[in-house]
Amino acid sequence: MSDLLVIAAVGLGTYGMRAMFLVRRPRSVHERGNTMLHLLAPAVLAAIMLPALLAPRGTVSFGETGASLAAAVVSVAVWRRTRGIPHALFAGLVAWWLVLALVAGP
Amino acid sequence: MTHPSAARAGLRDGMSVVAGYIPFALALGASLGSAGVDPLTAWLSSPLIIAGAAQLVTVQMLGAGAGVAVVITTALVVNARHVLYGAKMASLVPSWSRRDRGLAAYLLADPMFALASARARVDDPPEVPDTFRAYYFTMSWTCWAGWLVLTGSGVLLGDVLPAALPLDVAAALTFLLLLLPTLEGAAAKAAAVVGGVVAALAGGLPLGLGLLLGAAAGVGAGTWVSRVSTPAQSTRQEQSHV
Repeated sequence: MSDLLVIAAVGLGTYGMRAMFLVRRPRSVHERGNTMLHLLAPAVLAAIMLPALLAPRGTVSFGETGASLAAAVVSVAVWRRTRGIPHALFAGLVAWWLVLALVAGP
Repeated sequence: MTHPSAARAGLRDGMSVVAGYIPFALALGASLGSAGVDPLTAWLSSPLIIAGAAQLVTVQMLGAGAGVAVVITTALVVNARHVLYGAKMASLVPSWSRRDRGLAAYLLADPMFALASARARVDDPPEVPDTFRAYYFTMSWTCWAGWLVLTGSGVLLGDVLPAALPLDVAAALTFLLLLLPTLEGAAAKAAAVVGGVVAALAGGLPLGLGLLLGAAAGVGAGTWVSRVSTPAQSTRQEQSHV
């Protein structure tokens, strides 16, 4: 139940952010605030992504970390060509599986 | 464009987004379902939050036993870009009623914002309010319904998928793929590099504080780079209207 309340609070907060300028009448936004908002997405997403990629199951290991880094490289390469999240995700997961199979050996 | 054809275009664009999101949303749903939170509760994040990255952060941190305040703060930091979405959307629909704008805000997730901005760019100024409204709401509700069904299927499927499947790697890759389109300009790249490295170095801190530290360091580094690279611009234009 408390988990649901936390999720609902995040939902309410997210709605508040979406509605802040859309529901109220348009007003001015400070240039510096605007710049910081633009930078939040890359900073936060990288801060979530990099630790998870380096330690996919909570610990850094040659096989697991190598496989997830290979998956990341392949995903980025495919995304650059296709700009499609599904293709890039699928290709990355295939690369992850192949590298892990190679490291584990026959 | 007439009202019905705008709605048809909205349905078509919404369906194409839903089709593209199938593997992503299934993987995300499976990650939600396996995070250690009650699966139905985890899935309810789809209608309540409607933002994949924030949903995953919230549910994974809850599953890991993080503090309530840290979970909410982190998820809202992840979603802070939605303030900008709302600001830009407001400039497209100044004549909509308050009720319509309130409902539009609920639906304003990443793909809805991307499609609405793309349509407004083609029809500049945006079509007459009625047809743009028909397009936006048809497209958004289509994406919304697809998101709920796909993440729900992922939650259900996650139970029967073998534990060896790389759902945690899929989650990390998903964040990487959400990150890539945001890397426009030196400031954004600096924010990402510093944010990622600091969060990785501070990974041992409790309650997800490493993430917040990384995010703050990333924004700080990006702000510094943007000031160094465009000093004249930032002093010339102190305020901008939305």
